[in-house]
Amino acid sequence: MYPETNNAHAHDLQMDLVTASNEVIPIFGKRASKYSLWIRFSNGHKFKDGEEFAKLIVPVNGDSAKLGPCRLLSEPNIDGYAGRITFIDDFFDFDNLLSNHKIVKLQSEFLNLPMVLAHKDNITREFKDYTSNLNYDCNVYKNLFDKLDLEYQGEPEDVKKLVQRAIIDSEGKTFLRFIDENLQKLEKIVKNFSKEEHERHGFYLRKQLWNIIMCSAFMARTNLKPRGYSGDSEMMRMIYANEYEGFSTFSKLLNKHPLNQPAAQAVRNRRIIVAGKLNEIKNSRQYHADGKCRVLSVACGPAFELKDIFVSPDDCDAFHFTLLDQDKSALLEASVLVDQIEKSLGRALETKYLNESVRTMLVTSDLHEKWGRFDFIYSMGLFDYLTPPVAAAVLKKLYQLLAPGGEMVIGNYHVSNSNRYYMEYWLDWVLYYRSDSEFKALLGDAPGAHMDVTFDDTGVQMFLDVKKNRANA
Amino acid sequence: MEQSLRLTVKPQWDEIENARIEVGAYLQSQGLMRDAVHSLTMVISELIENGIKYGSFTGPEDAIAVDIHRNGDTTTVEVINPLNIKDKAARNHLTKLDKTIQWIRGYQDPFEAYVEKLKEVSRRPLKDEESGLGLVRIAYEGKSILDFFVSEEGSLNVSAVSHFRGDNHEKD
Repeated sequence: MYPETNNAHAHDLQMDLVTASNEVIPIFGKRASKYSLWIRFSNGHKFKDGEEFAKLIVPVNGDSAKLGPCRLLSEPNIDGYAGRITFIDDFFDFDNLLSNHKIVKLQSEFLNLPMVLAHKDNITREFKDYTSNLNYDCNVYKNLFDKLDLEYQGEPEDVKKLVQRAIIDSEGKTFLRFIDENLQKLEKIVKNFSKEEHERHGFYLRKQLWNIIMCSAFMARTNLKPRGYSGDSEMMRMIYANEYEGFSTFSKLLNKHPLNQPAAQAVRNRRIIVAGKLNEIKNSRQYHADGKCRVLSVACGPAFELKDIFVSPDDCDAFHFTLLDQDKSALLEASVLVDQIEKSLGRALETKYLNESVRTMLVTSDLHEKWGRFDFIYSMGLFDYLTPPVAAAVLKKLYQLLAPGGEMVIGNYHVSNSNRYYMEYWLDWVLYYRSDSEFKALLGDAPGAHMDVTFDDTGVQMFLDVKKNRANA
Repeated sequence: MEQSLRLTVKPQWDEIENARIEVGAYLQSQGLMRDAVHSLTMVISELIENGIKYGSFTGPEDAIAVDIHRNGDTTTVEVINPLNIKDKAARNHLTKLDKTIQWIRGYQDPFEAYVEKLKEVSRRPLKDEESGLGLVRIAYEGKSILDFFVSEEGSLNVSAVSHFRGDNHEKD
């Protein structure tokens, strides 16, 4: 670098331009915009507006990037710059190049285009017709509902709500039935597909229906996964709320439809089932002789079920809760909920928060000494994401953490989930499904374990209920 | 009826090819079609490669264990390597592994993860030699569901579960 005295040149970098005849022209350059550089010639060279160069050589992090071809846009200014350099074929992003040392082409999104376009090649004709008709029909419905929304948008707020409610209860129901019928058709078409065929056809359906899917806040979230995984606390909140949320009648209807399904009802049911189990334990008083019932919630998320468990000040004296989750923001939400419960009941809850991944917690061999043993362990919405080797290892570890006489309830969606294709194709939400026997087999023959598999009312949510003999430490 | 194979692989690059040959022969003997054998041997190679890269091998007896279980149409591959969990680099690797696997599995079609990863690779820093494509290839080309855990013994167990039908069922 040459010494610089002009402040306007403080960020200049020494670079080279290479002409078509391979002459190397030393220059100084700095960012002008994302896709252009201010340049000045260090040896008094002069080039006409529009002059083309074979290459621009930029120093990057001790290395050099050879980019080109490029062109001079003559714009002499008072700081001594001759003009801007922009590229001719590939447009490189100078922000990424100079700050992050990454070579990013504006057109890089197109690199994979042939591969993405070819991904539709193995889509069956029947499925293409199905998706095309579905897309057409959904758009017809959307236009109709949007048109109706426009008709009454000038009405007072109360009137608007009543009108929209009437539309939802009349034509809205027809639309929801239309979606139901199309889900039945979908199942008929794809039920014999292989895993790979499901994946490919699911991708195709979402590409075709993307604009429709994005109208539903719930579907948008399951597809976009802003926290990097399915089933985050906001999705859970939406499932529990089970409301017509959205900016239009159409989006409200499309938001409500998946929330009305058995798979979503199962989420609401399991929350009640866990609260009921703990209520039974509290009433049995079997743990109270030597203190509180120690409870561990694994992959607790925002732990909304605490609202159903702690309903009176007495409940606060009955339990000690340990909440474990890998997502710090979910634990924070759980702690806010605990604060709210404490305020409303006027009693402190004994709660401990553990920010751990179940996949890495297993490494601690004496975990029961570190965390203690638990009288009741439950986990909902975790095992649906664990493959058998991991699920078996986690389940065995949890069993070790169970106190003699304790009980463990683990949820997993059953392989017969009637909403499986809806979840996979529309919501991009994939679970690891199990049969009863596969679920039981995960624990193997753990000493002193008595296992039972039960279901919620929908038959979608399966529970592995494990009781540990009092004699087994 | 469950069938299984266990291999012990020394943490050396040229051992990967030997493992590929042995695994390939075993999978063929199980009646899997050539494409399935090809996919699964790729999965195993990638996982062993990761095991060599990120494992902690302090003594001559330290090695990578490869377990393959076949149960019906389901094939489970487990690649287990010793790990020094107290090492910061190993912990960082686990955090990255956890995040990457969840990210890949967030897509119904691993093709989407593959396309995204290719875009990312095309934007990687000039001196970055790690593409991060291996795990995505396992999911997409290897048609496998990835997962992992760290065992009480401090070993990293990375598994890939796939569903390949035998030669009588595989589609053209």
